Amino acid sequence: MTLRLGRHEFADDATLMMAIVNRTPDSFYDKGATWAEDRAFERVALVVEQGAEIVDIGGIKAAPGVEIDAAEEKSRVVDFVARVREAFPQLVISVDTWRAEVGRAVCAAGADVLNDAWGGADPELVDAAAEGGAAIICTHTGGVTPRTRPYRIDYDDVVAAAIHDTVAYAERAIAAGVSPESVVIDPAHDFGKNTFHSLEVTRRLGEMVATGYPVLVSLSNKDFVGETLDLPVGERLTGTLAATAVCALAGARIYRVHEVVETRQTVDMVNTIAGRRPPRRAIRGLQ
Amino acid sequence: MPGVFALLPEYAGLEDPVAGLRAACLDAVAWLGRDVRVLADAQGRRVADHLVGCIGDAVDEPSYLVVGNGSAKRSEKAPGHLDERAHAFDEALGASLRAGRPEVDAALAHELWASVEGIARMRDLGDLGTAQVDYDDDPFGVQYWVMRWEW
Repeated sequence: MTLRLGRHEFADDATLMMAIVNRTPDSFYDKGATWAEDRAFERVALVVEQGAEIVDIGGIKAAPGVEIDAAEEKSRVVDFVARVREAFPQLVISVDTWRAEVGRAVCAAGADVLNDAWGGADPELVDAAAEGGAAIICTHTGGVTPRTRPYRIDYDDVVAAAIHDTVAYAERAIAAGVSPESVVIDPAHDFGKNTFHSLEVTRRLGEMVATGYPVLVSLSNKDFVGETLDLPVGERLTGTLAATAVCALAGARIYRVHEVVETRQTVDMVNTIAGRRPPRRAIRGLQ
Repeated sequence: MPGVFALLPEYAGLEDPVAGLRAACLDAVAWLGRDVRVLADAQGRRVADHLVGCIGDAVDEPSYLVVGNGSAKRSEKAPGHLDERAHAFDEALGASLRAGRPEVDAALAHELWASVEGIARMRDLGDLGTAQVDYDDDPFGVQYWVMRWEW
């Protein structure tokens, strides 16, 4: 199915890099490096130059922390979305939010995608996407409250749960008026999951791809990589790219990333091995 | 024309490393008649069949498509690395092709990884006259020519 992300359309076989842009002072990876608006804007320009098709702008870190209300979240992202929209008309702008109030405001400012990392915690977010002509990312969190960490969470079958919940969310979005071409599902590694759960959804990602919905994976430098390799944040790129390769082979379409260049190379290499993408320029042995 | 596998669709990349050569080959093949007899080894025939298949309309003149190329040892980056004899070999072979009277040292051609089976069979066609040279280059350390003769 053609993928439509707001103003932008992509072919069935396109893979897309979604670069993370934090307008937060305290996110786990960059620790506030792009908290200042100009630093965040520089980050957007950089990832565009690196080939990212999408930026995912977030105003609240995922982990527990200081309460950020909707007004504060909007002050961090709405005007920034408008600035990016004006400067980069060809860029897909996603906003990482679970709040419908924020979703409506960013769509009005030019956002193309609402990335709900928290599994539909605000049931009106689908209405905001429909009204704004935006795409929506439907994640699986096991029903946890936004900005909480998993604690003794358990599943009979985490992949079955992820498929059930994301497809149900997708159908709810379509029923609300979101175009079927604009609905993406995401197993949400680490969200409502221990490391073993995240490894299993990685291993069995093909089952999510088989639903027919485009699949987004957000793997970048996460704790399941860190725990698997016993490595702190900042030393997880190799593990992230290994997980990326497994997801690419399974057919994931969108990759939410900190490192655009390395991830693009990994995804292109895997998809070429899989026979879905030709080599860029092949002459060895063919002269 | 040379039997370059990079001309085949099964080896296509996102970018064409032989775009100029491909254009010259297609122009030359389009110039041939519909009744094309191919002079080539087995690999060259694969390339010839593909290129002939790319061309729709053609005149009814009987014609020949010869597939072959010079040495593949013309530089250190060449498929067969550098052989000091390669350039002289190609100059002589190229000159004889331009004159329409191909002369092939088959033993040396074998050592220099030159594909000359089809070129050697051109002698059966007699004196072809001076060639029109459409392409003459060695972009990957392999000597390629695209030439036409009309007689």
